[in-house]
Amino acid sequence: MGKIFLVAKREYLENVRTKGFWIGIMLVPILYTGMFLGPAWIEKSKPAKKFAVIDQSGWLLEKVEERMLVEDLSRIFLEVGEAHREDRPMPGLPDYLASLGKSFAETDPYKLSMMAAATAFPTEAGATADLPAELSENRGALLTWWKKLSPKETKTLFKSTTRNDFVLLSNLDADPEKLNNMVLTEELFAYFVIGADPVTDSQGCKYISTNLTDDDLQSWFGRYTTAVVRDQRLQKENIDASVAGWIQSPLSFEGRKLSASGEEREVSLQDKVRQWAPAAFVYLLWISVFTISNMLMTNTIEEKSNRLIEVLLSSMSPIQLMAGKMTGIAWTGLTMVGTWILCVIAGTAFLPGMLGLTLPFDMGAILSDPAFTLSFGIYFVLGYLLYGSILVGLGSVFNSLKEAQSLMGPVMMLLFIPLILMVPISQDPNGLLAKICSYIPPLTPFTMMNRAAAPPTTLEYIATSVLLLASVLFSLWASAKIFRIGILLTGKPPKIREMVRWIKAPVGLAPEHKEA
Amino acid sequence: MDVALSLDRVTKKFGDYTAVNAVSAAIPRGCIYGFLGPNGAGKTTTIRMIMSILYPDAGEIQVLGSPNSESMKNRLGYLPEEKGLYKKMKVGDLVTYFGQLKGLSGRDARKRGRELLERWNLGEWIDKKCDALSKGMGQKVQIISTLIHDPELVILDEPFSGLDPVNVEVVRDVVLQMKRDGKTVIFSTHVMSQAEQMCDYIMLINDGNKILDGPMAEVRGSAGGSVIIEYEGDGTLFDRLPGVTRVNDAGKEVELTLVEGTDPQDILARLIGKISIRRFDMRAPSLHEIFIRAVGGVPHG
Repeated sequence: MGKIFLVAKREYLENVRTKGFWIGIMLVPILYTGMFLGPAWIEKSKPAKKFAVIDQSGWLLEKVEERMLVEDLSRIFLEVGEAHREDRPMPGLPDYLASLGKSFAETDPYKLSMMAAATAFPTEAGATADLPAELSENRGALLTWWKKLSPKETKTLFKSTTRNDFVLLSNLDADPEKLNNMVLTEELFAYFVIGADPVTDSQGCKYISTNLTDDDLQSWFGRYTTAVVRDQRLQKENIDASVAGWIQSPLSFEGRKLSASGEEREVSLQDKVRQWAPAAFVYLLWISVFTISNMLMTNTIEEKSNRLIEVLLSSMSPIQLMAGKMTGIAWTGLTMVGTWILCVIAGTAFLPGMLGLTLPFDMGAILSDPAFTLSFGIYFVLGYLLYGSILVGLGSVFNSLKEAQSLMGPVMMLLFIPLILMVPISQDPNGLLAKICSYIPPLTPFTMMNRAAAPPTTLEYIATSVLLLASVLFSLWASAKIFRIGILLTGKPPKIREMVRWIKAPVGLAPEHKEA
Repeated sequence: MDVALSLDRVTKKFGDYTAVNAVSAAIPRGCIYGFLGPNGAGKTTTIRMIMSILYPDAGEIQVLGSPNSESMKNRLGYLPEEKGLYKKMKVGDLVTYFGQLKGLSGRDARKRGRELLERWNLGEWIDKKCDALSKGMGQKVQIISTLIHDPELVILDEPFSGLDPVNVEVVRDVVLQMKRDGKTVIFSTHVMSQAEQMCDYIMLINDGNKILDGPMAEVRGSAGGSVIIEYEGDGTLFDRLPGVTRVNDAGKEVELTLVEGTDPQDILARLIGKISIRRFDMRAPSLHEIFIRAVGGVPHG
């Protein structure tokens, strides 16, 4: 036992002391964070796309601009209200607007959009909503200020106005050749041509750009023009706009969660997160089990090529050596997983605050649920023992990583099966596929982890665990038999058939393999 | 005779191939014992069985009086032919680690490791990593790792292979020192001249079979006489001499093995005037001669 501990300790210290180990560990949370925050950050730092419009109808663009103005004003009101609620100053905002924050904060979004419409066009019917005095007095100043605000200033002040993403250049000649040139020199991202009679059909409507894969601008502008054209069509047919809106409104079903006690309640985000948490755990389990099983194998082959095996075997039995290596790498793996979990805890505690966000669900409740964390711990250890013992046995017969690669190909393919099965099992955690896979020992850890949100019965837990434990013991035993012979071989690696014979042979009997 | 190690009809097969065939030997305590034989003779397999890295298919091995050599591992020191170091480990840590594996406490292992490293002029390397060592220093560290727990029986598998003359001398001095300290040293080699200089006892193995064993003087004495001649001239002459069973001609020096009863003076008389003789020596035959002669009688394969 003492020798196993010595080997394990050396193995652990050697891994943990290297910088590469910690860089490798930290890369995973950094990549994850980057994967989630990166796109948002890129989106935010992307410059607004400039575009122009040639309006052959003579009226559509004007109407679209009116709509955009109303939209932007209501967004501005919303954001100013939000800033007031969060007690966040907005430097550069005109005083009258800032002082309206309180009343914006107390008004619901629908009424805010009515107020925006009334601010932009006070004469239109139905738009004479009672505006706060401060707003109606400064209406003119507000509109001029907004019109003059540059895209850059807009971006620093507001998050969601149309100008954040798209800027209409309205003072250009309606000359297609000139616009084409501007598109080619990238002064313009694109330009639109509106046909002469857009109410009738899309005849003559064009979108010209060099980049047709990024269709954000095209569909955004299309939505505005479509809405305007629809209004015109309704008017032409004498249909009331609000009636039309009602006719088009969809029927929606509210999702409600039925708990085990028969209680029915609203589906919260927490429920959804809980439902998908197992998938995250499966993924983490998969990465950690295979990272360290692979580490174990690589390490065994390296030690063999370092020619230390015989010295070690003159001090201990092969089984002690294997047990020591497996223990040391298991500690390494636990250090790795522990670091990741600490990163998740620290990340969810501090990162949202640093970025000015609030996490809309309770991470603590998920991390402290034994259905997740306890089974994660158990399946991590058992999964590692199963896969680790297989790989250490196989690794022991090879003299170099290059030799091992030929066999590792097919093994690695098998390792991907749990990942492929992840989605179908998440969708139907108590289905037939999930049940069958739970009883296939190499898949048991991943499948049972995946089913944790819709917990399998206690009987299933016990039955699958007994089966898994039995396979772990079998593979440890078989692997030890291969290891004690394989680790001393120096010649050509043996065939699978030969290894099977070693497993069958009683201890002490010679294997049918000539030493080189 | 106080026996450190005994082999009793030990056999090891790998499939159809017999690596070691019913080898018996008794190795007295406190001697230097040589396992001699060409490459592939079964020396390493025999040593691995003594170290219980492999198990014999038949026969019995008694190490330091115990049939269970597994339990004796902490009292044995073993330097395999294939040797290496953990490159990323510090020299001091490595030596300590091997000491601990042999049952020393962490503190004792560190203390003794430091003593040995200092005695071998490697004191300043304690805190340096193993991959910074030169080949000769690496070899010394490996030997220190083998000796750190002060073993009673030390087995060195081809300790001289791949060493330059300076390091050969270093290793030879260590072996002799161990003998002076009362240890038993077994080493294997296929270089007969080294064994001839150092061993008290030898065993010759070929193709898994023991050919002969015994005290060095006895082995050499029993084999009849031979003469060494340093000469200048026509070497074909030696083949025509009467009373000579074997000619081992190296060009300037020749070893002639004589039939018992042949008078060396007679040989000398026949050569004078035909070639120029620088030296004429009578002595017991070399191990090399004995080996060739013995193997000649045992068919290969």
